[in-house]
Order: sequence, then structure tokens, then C-alpha cells
Amino acid sequence: MPVRVLVESSTPSQVSGANSGHTSFQACTLLGIGQAFSGTQNVSSLQKDEAWRVNVRIQGCDLEHGYLCGTMEALNVPMADTPVVTFWEGEIVDTKNYTFFTGKWEATPEDDIRHWTKFQSFSPLMGQVEVDGGKSLDLSNYPYIFMRWKEQYFVNVGTDCGLTIAGFYYVCFSCSDGSISGFYYDPNSRFSSFSYCPFQKLELKSTNDGRSGFSFPSYELQ
Amino acid sequence: MPASRPSSDLILDRLASSDGQIKLKAIRQLKNHIIGNRTKKLSYIKLGAVPAVAATLADFDSDPNLIVQSAAALGSFACGLDAGVRAVLDAGAFPHLIRLLSASDDKVVDAAARSLRMIYQSKLAPKYDFFKEENLEFLLLLLKSENESLSALGASIIIHSCETGEEQNILCYAGVLDKLISLLYGSLSQRDASLESIAAIVKNNSEAVSKFVDLRGGRALSPVIELSKDKYSRTRLLACLCLICVKNASSCHLQDTGIKTKLINILLELLDDSGQVGDEAPFAFLSLIAEKEDLQKLAFEGNAIDKFYNHLQDCPSHPKRLEGIFLALADLCSKLECCRSKFLSLQMLNLLVDALTHYDANVRTAACICLKSVSRSIKNLSVGYFMNERIVIPLVRLLSDPSTSVQVAALGAISNIVVDFTAHKSVFIQCGGIKELVQLTKSMDPSLRLNAVWALRNMVFLADKMCKEGIFMELTVSSVASLICDPEPSIQEQALALVRNVVDGCMDCVEYAFAEEGIILDAVGRQIRKSSKTEILIQGMYVLSNVASGNEFHKEAIMKLLFPPAENGSRSFFCQFLHSSDSRLRTSAVWVIVNLTFPASPGAFGRIVELRKFGVVSQIKRMANDSCMDVKLRARHALGQIITFGDS
Repeated sequence: MPVRVLVESSTPSQVSGANSGHTSFQACTLLGIGQAFSGTQNVSSLQKDEAWRVNVRIQGCDLEHGYLCGTMEALNVPMADTPVVTFWEGEIVDTKNYTFFTGKWEATPEDDIRHWTKFQSFSPLMGQVEVDGGKSLDLSNYPYIFMRWKEQYFVNVGTDCGLTIAGFYYVCFSCSDGSISGFYYDPNSRFSSFSYCPFQKLELKSTNDGRSGFSFPSYELQ
Repeated sequence: MPASRPSSDLILDRLASSDGQIKLKAIRQLKNHIIGNRTKKLSYIKLGAVPAVAATLADFDSDPNLIVQSAAALGSFACGLDAGVRAVLDAGAFPHLIRLLSASDDKVVDAAARSLRMIYQSKLAPKYDFFKEENLEFLLLLLKSENESLSALGASIIIHSCETGEEQNILCYAGVLDKLISLLYGSLSQRDASLESIAAIVKNNSEAVSKFVDLRGGRALSPVIELSKDKYSRTRLLACLCLICVKNASSCHLQDTGIKTKLINILLELLDDSGQVGDEAPFAFLSLIAEKEDLQKLAFEGNAIDKFYNHLQDCPSHPKRLEGIFLALADLCSKLECCRSKFLSLQMLNLLVDALTHYDANVRTAACICLKSVSRSIKNLSVGYFMNERIVIPLVRLLSDPSTSVQVAALGAISNIVVDFTAHKSVFIQCGGIKELVQLTKSMDPSLRLNAVWALRNMVFLADKMCKEGIFMELTVSSVASLICDPEPSIQEQALALVRNVVDGCMDCVEYAFAEEGIILDAVGRQIRKSSKTEILIQGMYVLSNVASGNEFHKEAIMKLLFPPAENGSRSFFCQFLHSSDSRLRTSAVWVIVNLTFPASPGAFGRIVELRKFGVVSQIKRMANDSCMDVKLRARHALGQIITFGDS
């Protein structure tokens, strides 16, 4: 989800390191393609409390490469006439393709740890992550999936919409109930800086289009 | 004053002359006429010149000069023309040419060997039987010969006739590879023929590769690597192809990045050759990078896409080269998003769209395959990048192309493009795409049926109700039911996935499964009882799961389908799915239970009682500690719902 433009955005640099030899990452059906989530992103500042309604849809998933992507729709953005849709790409922290250390987007290992520790489910992993970014952890059976979501472009509005997608989200997905928590991080935005306001928290729940249960569409690229 | 040219008839008359000198002159003239001239070759073949020339070889008393000229003329007829090869073989010249290899006159031997090499370049040449001991000995003699034409003939025989693993192995054990390595240091024709022969022997044969690389103290690859830098472009290409065969057949040779990069660079440079070598270079490149992400990455870093782009832009290429370039680009873009981004940023899509209407069917096919690869980019699908009339109109036209391979390739590209996450799916409908796809689901050709159903399945993914309605009207309920029961398992799977998507989305969509007295749901039920293919069962389970996420009526219908009153539940096919060794099938089956026991639905309690009776609840309890996390969590979810109604 975009945030207000405040400072110049930064350019992403290198991809994280990778290693091999881990058990392959298991799919979680609730994080499959076509799945939808809805909730809010808290964008409160010292001046006022504010939360935007947010919808997310998973559009692509490639576990082998630790890749996930989809769209994020912000519904009641004050300066926008219509809901603002962005396309994001996600890095799954599978310790094979990506570790807990971002290694780019101006996020230092300290920034990483500061954000990951906001998730309760991260605490058992903390010790090892401090040592090697979690490279030696086997998360294939861990009931939480940690990711970084980086918005890539605006789908339905121009870049002159007064919003920025320069930052990225630290995300934690619960495989049990399909809930998603996330924290937005943009080193150049004072809105995401700790000294000015709390972390911008994203909270989403799995949705089912008003059905009495869960439905799973699918496509297969050739 | 210029002399008048003798007419064809005159030459034929002279060929029949009993005067040796007249005959010799006529054969010389004939040879000069036909060299490099396909039309003249065909016209002389029609006039019966080949048997007249071949007759000279049969005459043991013929003048050696006459034999040399005759053999050369026959070789010329055979060179690059199958009709010529056929005429030479039909005239019975082949055994005479073989006999002449043992002649005492070196010029005769040389001429016969050259002529036979021309014949062996054609598929029509008789297959050489390496399993006959005398044949193998003769082949070794040829390869060992000091005569350049004879040794090159030996290599040509291998290129022509070595096809199976047994043939490769027998040649290896006979010591042929060592002889071929010697030829790598010979003349141009010996080097080229040897490189091609080695490639024929080691292709897809790791044992042969091991034998080869161990020769000459483990340095057998060195001369091949050296020849990949030769001044002749054809030699460079053949050396690369030989190295690619070694690399592809065995995972322990030529694996370092340096040699891979060199091969990529050489092949890209060979594109600059304006002739046959340049036409063949993209195919060699393709065989190097196909399915190999690391090599595709290296090629990307070596600016392969820019180079192909320059060649596509520079000149109107030969169809063969265009086909090769699009196929190479297809492979480059098959896995890596960076390649797709580069392709799109160079505006190559415009060149590709032009190629969709190329007069050559192979180019049209290659362009579709390339589009299929490029359109794997979810990043671009997400904004509907490919869903516009400039691309969709020519693609839809290709669905009625006279060539089946073009149709299949076009369907492949369409399958990806219609995934489109925006509201642009209507562009495809307005271009008449649905009508064409539905038509192809009725084709007698299973590959067309499969890909058409596949495209419809992707089209329906997250489609709105109007789009689904349009497709269903065109396709009809009974056709969907028939496709679910198609004789081809892969079509059954795609048809079930299509239904899975149709009943997803808004609640009303579930009703499609119940249209026309529920014949679709009946077909699903029959298929999942009958099939043993896991992929089919998984799709079937998701159809049932999606329907079971509907209202009470929908849930009850699924209960009846899974546990018909007449059957004993404990032996139910459904329980076998819960026990499956495939965790994906177990997961999909547990989702059905999660939806059937959804606590907010009024009939949940009754269904739980039934499920308990059929032993499903106890099975779900056991699955709460499943080795697969997804299964375990879904089973716990279902148990959590069941427990809200009491645990007895």
C-alpha cells in the first residue's frame, strides 16, 4: 500500500545471499494464488489517528525461487478519488533464496532485526538470525512464513498521485489461520521513522467472498 | 566468336556414345552444367542422365578418367538434393562407388569417396550397419586412411548412421573415438566431419562422454575447445555443438562458468555469419541454454537479448534464422523475469507480433512459443500488458491456422495471456477468442483439445460472473461434462480445473455445477471414483471443496456425492484420499471437510454426525499430526470446527 510522499525515494540494490541444502519450502494453501485478504494499515501520526482499509490478492507464487506477488488496494486514501491499487513482489524468507537480512532497500541488519522482533512468532528464531541472518535455520515446517513485500508500481493511478511506494513491508503470515501482519519501512519517510510515529502496521485476514467456507481458484502458466 | 552451348539432348546423346572421348567430354559438360544448379539437376534427372552416367561405373573396363568424372557428376547430383540422391541410388551406383574405394588408382578412390560423402549427407542414404564385423573393420580402415577423402567419408558414415545408444557404444568400444580425435588435427573437411561424428557418438550418452574425455591422457576435449576458436565459422559452430553434446550428456564435464560463457559468446558471434552457419547458430544456442537457468542467466549477462534484437532488426532474415532466434528468445525468457523485462523494454514485442503473420509456419510457431515464454511475467499480466487488440487479434486468427503446430503454440500463448488480472478479459471475448477456443475443445486432435481447455481454465480464473456466463453459454454444460470424461487424462485434469474456477468467486457461481440436473457434478463424481491420477483427484477435490463453500444445498450435495446412502462409508473412495501418500491430495480432501463442517452453516452438526459415522472424523484426528504442515493445520482447523459441536 502506498504512503504519502515525504522524502525522495531510494533505489533497491542487491539481492540477498542464498544457500542450499535446506528442505524444500512447503506450500500453504491459504497463501496460494487467488487468495484474498482484507484489513487495515495504521497510518497514524502524532497529529491524528488514521487507518486505511486494505485488500490484498495473491496473484503469483513461485516457492522454488522464494517469490510471491500480488496487488494491494488501499480504499480510503484521503487524497485519492478512487481506491489506489499497487502491484507488489514478495521475497519469502526461506533461508535458501532469501534470509532475514534484506541487504538492500537501505535496510541494515539492525533495521531488519528491529522490525522482525515486532512479530511474536519471530522470537524463537532471534538467536540464530543475529548470528547469520537465519541462513542455517530450517523454516520448511515453521507455521509462520516471513516475507518482504515491495510495491513495484501503481496499477490504476499515475506516479504523480502524491503517494510513494519507496519503502517495503516486513510481513509475517500465519499458516494456521491465514492472517497477515506487516510493518512498513521506508528509511526516507519520517512517517516510518521510530522517533516520530509507531510502526505503520498492516493487519489482514483471509477473506472468502461471503462464502460459508474457503474457495480456491487456480491457473497454470504454460 | 562464342561457341553455342550444347543442348541437354545433345549431351544425353553423347553420354550414350561408344566413343570414350566423346563420352568423357559429355560427362564433363554435364558436371559443369549441374554444379550448384538445382533446376538443371532436376531437369537432367528427368531426362534420365543419372542412369547413363552410372552405367560407366558398372563397366570394369572404363577409362579411369571417365570413372573419375562420372563419380564426380553423380556426387554433384546427390549434393544437397534428395531427388538427386534418390536417382543415384535407383541407378544402382551406390555399390559400384563402394567397390571403387578399393581401386588401385588414387584418383578413382578419391572421386568415389567424395561422391559417397555427398550421398551420406542425405537421410535417403542406406543405413550403415555397424554391427557387422566386416563393416566396422572397413569403417576403421576408412578413418585410419591417409587419404583425406576416405577418412572424411568414414566420419560422414558415422554422422549419418550412428543414432542409437547401442550404435554409439559399439563405435566407442571399437576405438573409433581415438581415430576421430586424430582427424581433429587434419584438414578442414576432416576436422569438421570429425567434430560432427564425435557429437553423434556422445549425444545423450554419458558413458560415451566418459570414454571420450578420458582419451589422450584425459585431454581429448582440448582440441575441440581449440577448434571452437577456429578461423572458419562452420568449424567453430561444429566444435560448439560437440562441446554442448558433451556438456548436456554428462553433468561432470564443462561445468565451469568460463567455458559456458565462452560457448555463449561464440554462438552469439556466429549470428553475424550471413549464411547457413548464422542460420544454425540460434539452434545451437538453444540446445545449450534449454531448461538451464544458470546458462540463461549467463546469456542474459552476455547481452544475448540485445544481440538477438539487433539481428531481428537489421535485416529481413531467412525464415530458418527467424525461427531459431524466436525459439532461442523463448528459452531465454522461459524462467527469468530479467530476460522478459529486457525483451519488453527493447520493444521486441512489435517484431514478435509481425512474426505472428509470417508466411512460414515454423516462424509463426516460434513467435507464439516466444510470446508464451514472455507472457509468463506475472508482473506484466497483472496490468494486462498483453491483453490488447494488437496482440490478441493475430493470435486469435492463428487458432484457425492450417498448421496444427501453429494452433497449439498459439493456444499456449493465449493460455498465459488470458490469466490477465485486470478487467481486460473482455478484449479477448470481443476479438472472438472464446468462440474459437470452444470450437477447438471439440477438435479430434487431443493436443488442440487440451490446450483449448487449458486456455479456458485460465480465462475463468478470477473472472467476473458475466465472463463466466459468456463462456458457459458458448461451451454448454453438456460439453463441460464430456470434457471431464475425455479419454485423455490431461484433458480431464484441465476440465476439472476449469470447473473449479467456474464455481469460485461469488456465491451464485456455485450454481453452474448444478445446471441441467447437475450433470457436471455427476461427471466430477464419476471421474474422481474412476481415476488413479493424483493430479486429476486433486482438481476434483478442489471442485468439491469450492462447491462445499457454498450454501446448505451445495454442502448437502457434496455429502451425497461423497457418501451415497447405498455405500459403506468406511470403504469410501474419499477416505482413501485422506490416506493418500501425496500431501497435496490429503490437503485438498481436508479442505472439503473444513467447508462441510463450517460452523456458521445450520446443517453442520448433522453432517458432522454423518462424517463421524463414516470414520472421517477419527481419520481427521489422526491427521492432526500429519507430517505435512499444511495438512496438519487444515486437519486441526476442521477438528476445531467439529469440537464446537461436542466431541462425542
